Amino acid sequence: MAEFLNNYGFLIVTVVQQALLGMSLYYPLSAGQLSLASPGFYALGGYIAAIIGTAELFAPWRDLLGKAVFPLEWIIAGVASALLSLVIGLPALRLRGIYLALATIAFVQIVRVISLNLSITGGAIGIFGIPQLFESRWGYIWIFGPLLAATLLFTWRLEQGRIGRAFRAIREDELAAEAMGINPTRYKAQAFIIGGTLAGVVGAMSAPFLNTWNARQGTFDASIAYLAYVLIGGTRSLWGALLGAALLATLPEILRPLNDSRLIINGMVLVIVSIYLPQGIVGALARLRGAGKKKGVPAGGKT
Amino acid sequence: MTGLLDVKGVSRCFGGLKAVNDVSFRVEKGEIFGLIGPNGAGKTTLFNLISGLTPVSGGILSYDGVPLNSLPPHKVARLGIGRTFQNIRLFKGLSALENVKIARHSRTRAGLWGSVFGFPASHREEQEVKQRAGEILALVGLDNRADELASSFSYGDQRRLEIARALALEPRLLLLDEPAAGMNSAEKHGLTQFIREIRDRFNLTILLIEHHVPLVMGLCDRIAVLNFGELIALGPPAEVQKDPSVIEAYLGGD
Ligand SMILES: Nc1ncnc2c1ncn2[C@@H]1O[C@H](COP(=O)(O)OP(=O)(O)OP(=O)(O)O)[C@@H](O)[C@H]1O
Ligand SMILES: [Mg+2]
Repeated sequence: MAEFLNNYGFLIVTVVQQALLGMSLYYPLSAGQLSLASPGFYALGGYIAAIIGTAELFAPWRDLLGKAVFPLEWIIAGVASALLSLVIGLPALRLRGIYLALATIAFVQIVRVISLNLSITGGAIGIFGIPQLFESRWGYIWIFGPLLAATLLFTWRLEQGRIGRAFRAIREDELAAEAMGINPTRYKAQAFIIGGTLAGVVGAMSAPFLNTWNARQGTFDASIAYLAYVLIGGTRSLWGALLGAALLATLPEILRPLNDSRLIINGMVLVIVSIYLPQGIVGALARLRGAGKKKGVPAGGKT
Repeated sequence: MTGLLDVKGVSRCFGGLKAVNDVSFRVEKGEIFGLIGPNGAGKTTLFNLISGLTPVSGGILSYDGVPLNSLPPHKVARLGIGRTFQNIRLFKGLSALENVKIARHSRTRAGLWGSVFGFPASHREEQEVKQRAGEILALVGLDNRADELASSFSYGDQRRLEIARALALEPRLLLLDEPAAGMNSAEKHGLTQFIREIRDRFNLTILLIEHHVPLVMGLCDRIAVLNFGELIALGPPAEVQKDPSVIEAYLGGD
């Protein structure tokens, strides 16, 4: 067991962490909005945790709070990300489709450029030697695991109720949703803020986990990776991001013995899944299960 | 009778085209009011103006004394104006039941945390939504197909589902854009009955666009005729039918 965790502990925690980041992109998507802003909030949350964890300025906090400084970092990162999501989201969500995607990529780039140029974020070098919450990498499962469980539960409940229905209505037909009394701006913003807040909190938890934090944490590549989790796993189910992250984050490891050709196989899996399973893995499973019964499978579980 | 919807000198231009041109009429409470006219006369545009989907270029729209001009569509809906669409805009990827439940949005209040934690008030409300949606589906005869996707319904059933969805909003004014389009004659007959029934049952006022002349004549209390964006006749069906300008507009003589 100890050896297994030694070998795979980091990978398992990474899958959970990546699944959470995929989820952060799933919320806006469930309201029909293609936002790639998550890495920006993830970077912000990470810097907040890294700065509180290392800067001289916060030494009194650390001395006073001990390990309790970590939850405080998560809360501050969450609140800061929520506020920033609101400020960014309201103007950006006026844009539709690919234009929103482009605006959110621009946001990620802006966060990156700012972090490269500020001294408090350590410039190009970033922040290293971030104090640890656990002795081992595997220990971090005790924060990422419960966060994932809570997030899935939250999402499941959300999707069964009034707010989740409003998200779906906007995704299906924004104009009809409006004519049915739903304020699209409000719910698009809510979905965006939920996603941004989650990404920020995950960032704050990840800074100690990764030990260093720099401008490479929030990049366009990351945006695409998170989007791939959701697309591969399935955009219409809360399990999609988890499945997608599990597949895409472990595949390179499983294929490691193949050396260079693993990247090709990795890419091929992406292409094949997107061509043959347009609803993602979850969609395909649901279709298999429902093949006999000719019943509708509404996004987000039971109606 | 008293007026429910007041249309005063309302216009809408698209570039140089006057799709609706200085139209005025008043719809009384409890009335079934027909809106007819040749293709491109501006009927759907007028519906879009009333429901707030298209801003007016001029004139005043008011509903039960409340000006509608600067209200966004979701607020118009909240006031009690429900509608269907000529080109059917159901939430196609969702079940019939979900389509109807969604329209309960403005009549319910659960917020994010209420939903997630299942506070008693939200829980009760959710039960009510489910029950109401089921009742309304039963009313249009689709309750046995509640869990099927809207996209799997026939054309006629989709139209009925769209009416069910609009009814779930609890409107006082219902705008129906060509509800009989694509229905066979038995379905059309059933629809006429149904529209009267829901008017009586829910105390509705109904504004109806329809091309099928017998249906309009049999059903409507009064009719307005639009042609090239202008109101050319207004009155009870028998009068409008005899109006020379209406006959000319429909026969296309010039
Ligand atoms: N969004 C728009 N942009 C430009 N022109 C428009 C727009 N909407 C409608 N029109 C034009 O306005 C005129 C009236 O259209 P409208 O759809 O209101 O007619 P209608 O009476 O509903 O016709 P039909 O019986 O064919 O449904 C048409 O000439 C149409 O091309
Ligand atoms: Mg029309």
